[in-house]
Amino acid sequence: MAPLSLAARLHGGVAVLLLAVGIFWGLKVVPPDAFQGDVQRIMYLHVPSVSTAYLAIIVTFCASILYLWKRDLRFDAVALSSAEIGVVYLGITLATGSIWGKPTWGVWWTWDARLTVTAIVFTMYVGYLMLRAFAEEPQAGARYGAVLAILGLPAMILNHFAVQWWRTLHQPSSLLRPGGPSVAPVMLWPLVFNIVAMLVAYSYFLLERVRLERIRHRTAEVRLKRGRRG
Amino acid sequence: MGSWGFIGLAYGVASVALIGYLLFLKGRLRGAREEFAALEREGGRRTR
Repeated sequence: MAPLSLAARLHGGVAVLLLAVGIFWGLKVVPPDAFQGDVQRIMYLHVPSVSTAYLAIIVTFCASILYLWKRDLRFDAVALSSAEIGVVYLGITLATGSIWGKPTWGVWWTWDARLTVTAIVFTMYVGYLMLRAFAEEPQAGARYGAVLAILGLPAMILNHFAVQWWRTLHQPSSLLRPGGPSVAPVMLWPLVFNIVAMLVAYSYFLLERVRLERIRHRTAEVRLKRGRRG
Repeated sequence: MGSWGFIGLAYGVASVALIGYLLFLKGRLRGAREEFAALEREGGRRTR
C-alpha cells in the first residue's frame, strides 16, 4: 500500500494554510460586530462548520443512493467516510453554537427548533456510525446504513428551514436566503473564505478516510481468498 | 468570562476536534497499512 503521496501532503498543507489565514482574518482583521461585539467572531468558525456538515450529509446521501443502486462498496466507503467527518463538523457546530449562545442569549442551550433539529441530526449520524461499527456482515451494515443516511437529508433540509417555518431564538439564515446574503461585505468575504478553507479540509479528510476504507476492503479480500484456499 | 474567553473556548474546542480527528485518522491509516503489509509478507512466505 502506497504511503501518503505528494499530492495528498500538498492538499493537507493547503488546508492548514487556508484555515490559518481564515482564523487570522476572522480574529484580527475583521472589525467587531456593531451589536454582538467581538463574540460574533465565533461565526467565522460556526457557519463554515455547519456548511461543511451540510455538504458531508449531502455527499453521504448521494453515495448511499449510488450504493443501493449499484451495490458497489466503493460508494459505501464514500458514504461511511463522509458521515464520520460530518459527525465531527456537526459536533463542532453544536459546541461553537452553544459557546456563542451563552454570552449572546444568556444560556448554553435552549430547546429552540434549529438547535433541537441539529441535535437530532447529530444523534442520527452518531447512530449511523454505531450501526456500521456493530454490523456483523459488511454488506448488511452498508445497506441499513444507506437507508438511515437517506433519511438524514430530509432532516438536514428541515434543519435549514426550521428558522423560517417556526418562530425561533436562532436568527434566520444570513447567507442562503432569498434576496442574497444580508452580511456586510467586510464580514461576508472572511466568512466565505473560512467556508472554502473548511471545505478544503473536509475534502482532505474525505480522501484520507476513503483511503483507509480501501485498505480495509483489500485486507478483507486477501483474508477471504486465503480462507477459501484453506 | 469575557468575549475573548468565549472566542478562545470556541476556537480551542474546534481545534482539538479537528486535530484530534486528524491524529485518530492517521493512527487508523497507519494500523491498516501495517496490517495489510504483514498480510502480504505472510502470503509471500507461503508461496515461496
